[in-house]
Amino acid sequence: MPNIKEMGSSPSLFFLNLGLAITPGRIFLSDRMIMKDKLVKIEEAAMQAVAEVVSEVELQQVKARFLGRKGEVTAIMKGMGQLSSEERPIIGALSNEVKDRLESAFSERQESLRQAFMKERLVTEQLDVTLPGRSQRQGYKHPITQVTEEVVEIFTALGFGVAEGPEVEKDFYNFEALNIPKDHPARDMQDTFYISEEVVLRTHTSPVQIRTMLEQPPPVRVIAPGTVYRRDSDITHSPMFHQVEGFLVDRKVTFGDLKGILTTFITEFFGQNIDVRFRPSFFPFTEPSAEVDIQCVICGGSGCRVCKQSGWLEILGSGMIDPEVFKSVDYDYELYSGFAFGMGIERIAMLKYGVNDLRLFFENDMRFLKQF
Amino acid sequence: MKVTLNWLRDYVDVDLSAEDLSHRLTMAGLEVDAMERLGEGFDSVIVARLADVQKHPDADRLTVCKVETGSVTQQVVCGATNHKPGDFVALAQVGTVLPGNFKIKKSKIRGQESCGMLCSTSELGLTETSEGILILPPDLDLGKPVFQALGLKDIMYELGLTPNRPDCLSVVGVAREVSAMVDAPLQLPVPNIVEGQVKTADKTSVVIEDPELCPRYAARLIEKVTIGPSPDWLVQRLEAVGMRSINNVVDITNFVMMELGQPLHAFDFNLLRGRRIVVRRAQDGDKFTTLDGQVRTLMGVDLMICDGEGPVALAGVMGGQNSEVSDDTTDILLESAYFNPVTIRRTSKRLGLHTESSHRFERGADVDMVPLALDRAAALIAELAGGEVAQKQVDVYPAELVKRTVIITACHTSEVLGFEVDVADIKQKLSSIGIKCSLLVERRDGAINAEIPNFRPDLEREIDLIEEVARLIGYDRIPVTMPVSNLTCQRLPRHFMLQRQLRDRMVELGFAEIINYSFYGNASLDLLGVAETDARRQSVQILNPLNEEQSVMRTTLMPSLLETAARNLAYRCEDLALFELRPVFQACDASELPTERLRLAAFLCGRSEPQGWAQKDIDCDFFDIKGVVEQILQNLKITDVRWVMAHDEAYYHPGKSCAIYKGEQLIGTMGELHPEVAKAFDLNRTAMLFDLDAEVLMALSGGTVKFQPLSRYPDMQRDSAFLLDDSISAQQVFDTLNQVKLKDLESLVLFDVYRGEGVPAGKKSLAIRACYRALDRTLKDEQVQNIHGKLVRALEKELGAELR
Repeated sequence: MPNIKEMGSSPSLFFLNLGLAITPGRIFLSDRMIMKDKLVKIEEAAMQAVAEVVSEVELQQVKARFLGRKGEVTAIMKGMGQLSSEERPIIGALSNEVKDRLESAFSERQESLRQAFMKERLVTEQLDVTLPGRSQRQGYKHPITQVTEEVVEIFTALGFGVAEGPEVEKDFYNFEALNIPKDHPARDMQDTFYISEEVVLRTHTSPVQIRTMLEQPPPVRVIAPGTVYRRDSDITHSPMFHQVEGFLVDRKVTFGDLKGILTTFITEFFGQNIDVRFRPSFFPFTEPSAEVDIQCVICGGSGCRVCKQSGWLEILGSGMIDPEVFKSVDYDYELYSGFAFGMGIERIAMLKYGVNDLRLFFENDMRFLKQF
Repeated sequence: MKVTLNWLRDYVDVDLSAEDLSHRLTMAGLEVDAMERLGEGFDSVIVARLADVQKHPDADRLTVCKVETGSVTQQVVCGATNHKPGDFVALAQVGTVLPGNFKIKKSKIRGQESCGMLCSTSELGLTETSEGILILPPDLDLGKPVFQALGLKDIMYELGLTPNRPDCLSVVGVAREVSAMVDAPLQLPVPNIVEGQVKTADKTSVVIEDPELCPRYAARLIEKVTIGPSPDWLVQRLEAVGMRSINNVVDITNFVMMELGQPLHAFDFNLLRGRRIVVRRAQDGDKFTTLDGQVRTLMGVDLMICDGEGPVALAGVMGGQNSEVSDDTTDILLESAYFNPVTIRRTSKRLGLHTESSHRFERGADVDMVPLALDRAAALIAELAGGEVAQKQVDVYPAELVKRTVIITACHTSEVLGFEVDVADIKQKLSSIGIKCSLLVERRDGAINAEIPNFRPDLEREIDLIEEVARLIGYDRIPVTMPVSNLTCQRLPRHFMLQRQLRDRMVELGFAEIINYSFYGNASLDLLGVAETDARRQSVQILNPLNEEQSVMRTTLMPSLLETAARNLAYRCEDLALFELRPVFQACDASELPTERLRLAAFLCGRSEPQGWAQKDIDCDFFDIKGVVEQILQNLKITDVRWVMAHDEAYYHPGKSCAIYKGEQLIGTMGELHPEVAKAFDLNRTAMLFDLDAEVLMALSGGTVKFQPLSRYPDMQRDSAFLLDDSISAQQVFDTLNQVKLKDLESLVLFDVYRGEGVPAGKKSLAIRACYRALDRTLKDEQVQNIHGKLVRALEKELGAELR
């Protein structure tokens, strides 16, 4: 870069200072040629100076020296009053031409200097773009939440609403109204935490079905995501886990519709190419009942440890809502029919992400949470 | 429930591959949990004959055997003593791998060559223990695989039965399903019973005092039996389905239970006082010793089988020690009965005594199977344990259970399933599983009268039969359709949406969501320093917790949050920003459900920015967590909250924490974790927390947006620094400024707080930047000067501020 502070001592300016000093005074007619010569010399000198400057500051100084209030061209123009009336316009026009030419030379030079300077600046301002960026702290949504949200998203797109219910639940909603009377062997299917004789930690999200149907008449299409509890703890069982319950009640709902909705859900969630099968099962609150299996996502159906060599994985329980349930919520079984289903969120999360240990979901290890 | 293919073949002619049958069973609702090929991998264990047995020249306990396999004769050294020349034995050839990864190699034992091994039953995995080697029957083909020669190659299916299918808790029951699948008839066993002169009714009697709990009780007497080991076929059958052999009589009762689903019990007849049976309820407080040696305390609801004096069996659950069949038993009274499912379940559950017998009775046995099972077992006892079967059963069946009839229509079946099913289909399907069907011609909707056999207690209503039809047609053959439904507006509930909004916001602010169990131990509250009188001690207790640490529903998220943080710190994950948005549970009146309130709690420690070459390396402090709370409030449009130093939470640093109020409503608390509490939770870091009542946040949120017009004119800024007493809070400054009406004030920022050089002790300097802008004109310098002057004067007058 040019050293701007030293420009005053550059040789060209020194020369200009000596040769172009002007002594104001009366100028005679015969001086016209001298004035003209002077202007030519001033222009030449100025043009050379412009060509030689290396910075905008130098350029401004050169400009001041020639066109400034005390500049050489200005001095000539100020001295024109001493000229005769015939000579004044001639010299006037001449000096204006010189002035114009100098002005444009200055601005051209200024632009070229600016461009050169910018170019040089951009070249020197080079970063190591491979250095990592300045990061923000990253947040993570728990995988259980993410999967729940995806399930909710799919079902809301299918026209289902969302309902919630209490986690500490009355025996009535959790069992009785769902056609699971006391002393029924079906109670063995779910090991229950009891708060009192009549109050339990809900063992499934199905009580929300009852609460919703007691509150609103058909048609209903609702899913109920939530936390559930069972008295069981080992590698494949957690005393607390999550489910999404769903049900649809309307006129003329069929088992074929149940297959349609659940097949749509599964292909949306796991992909179009996955095989789905429905097989008979038993739940006290549905009849007919169906367990839904998907082709094993680990081995693709050829048989592995995860699917116990069967090639299939159980992911959903479902069925047509049992007339007994309709009775307990005062729905007219002659007029309406419906289906219900429930799935374990941890289960489908494990399949979706290939997580091999259920307990990881509740250990909240950042090394785990950061992966989702 | 375990069944084997060979056993099934006794009752139904099935010619499906092992996998095919497994698939068909599963698709019929009898889910195959596991399939095992019995005798597989043992094809190199072959039938051989001992041509010669000599003592080992250099070892007393070994023999050197010459073994014929049909093609060659080889030498094997054997350590057993129960073999002699001419015996047929099981030879594991070189290369065989026996259970326990025991590989047979060619070797020299004390100088004698040994090519293979002569196997015992336990080495072949047939029994748990054994004495000596297996001596085979003499008529087997030499060189043939032993398992094949013995007919032991079999397929075992373990079925995961649902509680509605007690009929399939027997091999015959499963065979009935298979017969429907393959369209082959089911053949029940026909007992070939030879009766003696003695009449059962002359020797004993049965009285049912409670016919409601015991509708039917039948018995047979068998005299002069010899208790002893069971024959191999019986032992193998039982072991293949997971039962252990006890003795011939007990094994037969178990065999018939597995075959027909009817639990039986054998009493030592001579131990029955009065030689008779009375079925009645127990007396409250009676003591009774069951077969397993446990003394049980009875209640009046328990049904007992008694003799002339007292209880001899816990009906349908377990026999008593006082009448147990032993090696000395000669006369047997065999019981076959039907008990009320509910009473069996109550007793079994209360006593924690779950047996094969109670499992069947509580799900519903088949009352019509009572006499057949009794005869079947009696015939087998006579055959395998000798003895004479007394004439006729004593069969007490006071009120015959009426068979249910259910009407099923083709029309309703089609409606439920969503495709056309006709009367013929329904009749054919239901008949195939033993349901008698007759068309009700007088009705025109394709109605069928179905007579439900007693082995299907689960079929009570039309819908149950529709399920049977669907199941037998195959769910995979029901067409897939989409519901036709009226549109209704299904907006997500506000509570659900706000939950999602809070969670999203926390994630955007860089926090990781955690999910902890909803229960903890009371010790967690002690660690946290929650006072004994605190409302959070009124927690919901679990009556049957898995352990003490999971015995109470949590009333605060804080303990598990701190434990999670400590666990992560232990893994050297040191910059932590965690949050949990979950309900807490507060006990109410006993009659009410506890209240469940969502809370939002967060934990922050370590660097305030992620570690990096271009980032500040400073630890977070109070104002980092306060900034988070402010952003949450702002996001929910909750304004004008108060930050109050006074609060009751003992787990915060008293000087660096506060409660947050909107008006008089407490939103929550926040601040630095108390160093002592940090230590109690093994947290050796300075940590910031907040704990907000998410329900209050949701209730306060939702101020409506009112648009403010934008000014097109330039702003003017004024910066002023004030000297104030250290005791004056920022809140006082803001409150004072709020009191003054400052026209055209657009924004106010407190941009510097300074104590130190240039500021006298006991004072601090606060710098404020005010930005003024009018909506309708460019403000003039003197106008701004005028307004800003008011600001300055207010602080000077109200708070004694000095302009620096």
